[in-house]
Amino acid sequence: MGAGGGGGGGGAGAERPLLTAPTQSEVLTYWTRAGFFREAAELFEIHGKLPRVKPAEDSDVLLPVTPVRAAEDVHAVVSNIQQRASAILASELGLDPKATMGFAMALSEACQNIVEHAGTGGWVAVQAYTWRRKLAKRVVVIAVADAGVGFRHSLEPTQSKRFGERWGDAAALEAALIQGVSRFRDPGRGQGLAGIRRYLTRWDGKIAIRSGTARIAIVPKWDDDVPLKEGLPAFPGAQVLIIIPEQGSTKR
Amino acid sequence: MIQRIDVHAVLQESVSGVYADLVTRPTGRVVRERIEREMATAEGDVAIARIDFTGVGCIDYSCADEIVAKLLRHRPALLVLMGLSDGHREAIEPVLAGHRLGALVECADGTLEAVGAPEAATSLLEELVMRRLAAPTAGGTFALTLA
Repeated sequence: MGAGGGGGGGGAGAERPLLTAPTQSEVLTYWTRAGFFREAAELFEIHGKLPRVKPAEDSDVLLPVTPVRAAEDVHAVVSNIQQRASAILASELGLDPKATMGFAMALSEACQNIVEHAGTGGWVAVQAYTWRRKLAKRVVVIAVADAGVGFRHSLEPTQSKRFGERWGDAAALEAALIQGVSRFRDPGRGQGLAGIRRYLTRWDGKIAIRSGTARIAIVPKWDDDVPLKEGLPAFPGAQVLIIIPEQGSTKR
Repeated sequence: MIQRIDVHAVLQESVSGVYADLVTRPTGRVVRERIEREMATAEGDVAIARIDFTGVGCIDYSCADEIVAKLLRHRPALLVLMGLSDGHREAIEPVLAGHRLGALVECADGTLEAVGAPEAATSLLEELVMRRLAAPTAGGTFALTLA
């Protein structure tokens, strides 16, 4: 998700960059089922043969790649996901109904980061799948991305002085995710990511945010990801990845 | 007199009628402003406003902050929350605690329960008792004296 472009806007009139569709049939089918090409077609000239895949009712794609441009889109996403995902979250992941509402809250806050901070549109997708390699369990993954201004730019006016020479993409991510700061001075701001963290702590989930040249993660015991990576290729905007694993032996 | 504010109805008037969730800060702001207007234009001597969340689906942290925390901070009237589900509380309680605010929740059986920062909630309850708007029940809890 989030491959370049103007963030949910169409590229009508302008020459669009080329995107060559993958040749691996599994990847191609999945991307199609997830609605990737439908969104990408507005930004890229797509080369390659795309399969005709109808979205199946029992698909693992709980929410296809969906544009988020305004608060109204967040309402639609939260409403759709509650109808579609509640049963799956309860039956496959063993989350109780309370956790299902928390899931919708986390999704809402992640999407709102686009509307409030990106300065452009973005996308969200939600998928359930079996993560055999690391967990041998079912997981639900929320992926949110935008090609906006990124965390560093968003927080720079209020936070750069405080960090001094340390200020950069990694410090901005740390400020937002670990310290819960916001670019707004209203004391109630910064609740969103803090709330997502609380929810993930309770359900042994993971969050990773990539913005600019850095990536930060809150890593649960079941994962071997690193908490902070710096010096990555520059990515405009932000990518947020949230993973909630099937509940079993994990204590809450 | 107790004024009842139907948050679900306010939400339906504020955003497209198909949505039952209190999500996003702009929605929260619009809903709070409408609630404040309803309170300001209430007829009669309003002692308490019951903010009723019955019928509301999900509440996110932004809306909990924008509606509940800001109403409690501005305090246009003495507020009692009702119709809260466990999911609603998950959003509201940490937001209140973060602001060191307390609120009283009227449970289905009419008893009052404190949420958020304990000192702030206790002082709210004391104020209600002092103004004879709440009284102890036989079960050792508190309930509103007005219907």
